[in-house]
Amino acid sequence: MSTVDQTSRFGRVFWPVLAWVVALIFFFPIFWMVFTSFKTDADAVKPEFLFTFKPTLDNYLNMTDNYDYWRFAINSVITSTFATLFALVVGIPAAYAMAFNPSRHTKDILVWMLSTKMLPAAAVLYPMTFLTKNFLNIYDTHFLIVLVLCLINLPIVIWMLFTYFKEIPKEIIEAGKMDGVTTWGEIKDILIPLAWGGVASTALLCFIFCWNEAYWTVRLTTTEAATLSKLIEGNRAPEGLFFGRLSAVSTAAVGPIVVLGWFCQKQLVRGLTFGAVK
Amino acid sequence: MSKRTVPRLLQTPAVLLLLIWMLIPLGMTLYFSFIRYVLNSLRRPEWTTPSISNWRGFGNYEYVLFDSKDFWFAVQNSLFIVCSILILTVILGLALAVLVNRSFPGRGIVRVLLISPFFVMPAVNAVLWINMILDPVLGLNGLAIEGINEMVRNLRDFPVLGAFFSMWPELEPISFRATQTSAYAVIMMVTWQWTPFAVLIFMTSLQSEDESQKEAAILDGANAWSRFRNLTVPHLARPIAIVVMIQSIFHLSLYAEIEITSRGNGNKNLPYLIGEFTSNNIGAASAAGIFAVILANIVAIFLLRMVGKNLMD
Repeated sequence: MSTVDQTSRFGRVFWPVLAWVVALIFFFPIFWMVFTSFKTDADAVKPEFLFTFKPTLDNYLNMTDNYDYWRFAINSVITSTFATLFALVVGIPAAYAMAFNPSRHTKDILVWMLSTKMLPAAAVLYPMTFLTKNFLNIYDTHFLIVLVLCLINLPIVIWMLFTYFKEIPKEIIEAGKMDGVTTWGEIKDILIPLAWGGVASTALLCFIFCWNEAYWTVRLTTTEAATLSKLIEGNRAPEGLFFGRLSAVSTAAVGPIVVLGWFCQKQLVRGLTFGAVK
Repeated sequence: MSKRTVPRLLQTPAVLLLLIWMLIPLGMTLYFSFIRYVLNSLRRPEWTTPSISNWRGFGNYEYVLFDSKDFWFAVQNSLFIVCSILILTVILGLALAVLVNRSFPGRGIVRVLLISPFFVMPAVNAVLWINMILDPVLGLNGLAIEGINEMVRNLRDFPVLGAFFSMWPELEPISFRATQTSAYAVIMMVTWQWTPFAVLIFMTSLQSEDESQKEAAILDGANAWSRFRNLTVPHLARPIAIVVMIQSIFHLSLYAEIEITSRGNGNKNLPYLIGEFTSNNIGAASAAGIFAVILANIVAIFLLRMVGKNLMD
């Protein structure tokens, strides 16, 4: 809403058109994937059917037979949901304590938590395999994937919650304390209703990160707890004979998350920059 | 119970979990990096179980640094991939953020379209790009080149211009499955995925720019470029630094994209090399892992300083 508008008439048309063109280019690969998912495998590699073809839903209808899609999808849903819940259960009390009763170590603890996120996963790949396979016997279980997904996202969850909680006036929480409300009551009846939006977007973002995780979910599973990342990774099929069905399963794997992502693009900034960009 | 007990108790589970998560595997990596430890050895079966009696000192580090020919290549390639992605995403991100920051019809939809790639899971991103877009025969890359060739071939039969077009060469599609070109493919797909992230952050930051300062500059006769250079760029310095550091941390541990696009063709980064070592030589894998930790820490220290500084205000 600038009061001084110097944009020329040319600029008023040109820049929006350019913005649209660039946005469509960026979206094109996703569009192409969805588009191809309605072609048969044979049509998908024929140049004459590049844009005109007889659309078919077969790739979606046969997804279960072709890829056993639902087993992986259900694993993804289960592990991401429980990892998110678990991260919130551990993260909310911690963020609450840090936001409303900071000690002189709070800042150091927060920064240290973030530093665990920066540990390259590859560096601890073998110890994790060794521990879970030979020692704890939890390799390829839902429990392990939930635990790992929760742990890698816990720092981000705590950080995001912390920045949201800090915006709540301390007096409101103090007032509750005066009235003799227990800590649990404060969290449940005062904090969460007040910071509901923040908690929800934290959960959403955590869920998205869990869903898209592609290192541990691939490396620490074989069949039982394998998620959609593992399914796609296992079907990189360079022959290209199955573009149609591969597109369909890929669309089914990313579709829900891309739509979820549209709803939390603003929170993404907070979540990924740890409150350093406002 | 003292006043401090409850808050401390509330933080304990989180701190404890992260402490275990960090210390135990990392401690094991450190330990394995100092012993001889291989998964399969017929000649020296005693090396197949981790034991302090197989102590090797800095031998694994020396092996990784000097004897394995891939280590320096992997480090170099990691840095090449990360730096290319950083340069591309920052430049594209800045340009797009400025472009989308003004209001125009359908801006909301443009934003949604632009941000979408960021939410595509890395495995799908890689499979999609390497097969359907970049494949030299069946992908759009191959189809486009074939289409151009076809067109030129048809134009050759044209009366007068035909002579001109018959001098045009047949184009060869670039294959993105060779060692070096698959690194380009990785750069392309990751840039596609992470430019939206940069756009989003720069846009958030642009919205907090001081408009009155800008208007004063306009009244003082500053042109668009000098306004951008002297007001917007300094304002964006911090978000740029954040984008660079966060992406460095994510891309230094890039794995799925490399695994899918370049399995077995020699293109590798440090995490991929560690993965290769892990199939047998755990000692070397652990030593390389420690190097990866050091590399990540160099970046992380700067980021943590910066984030920590404005934490409490």
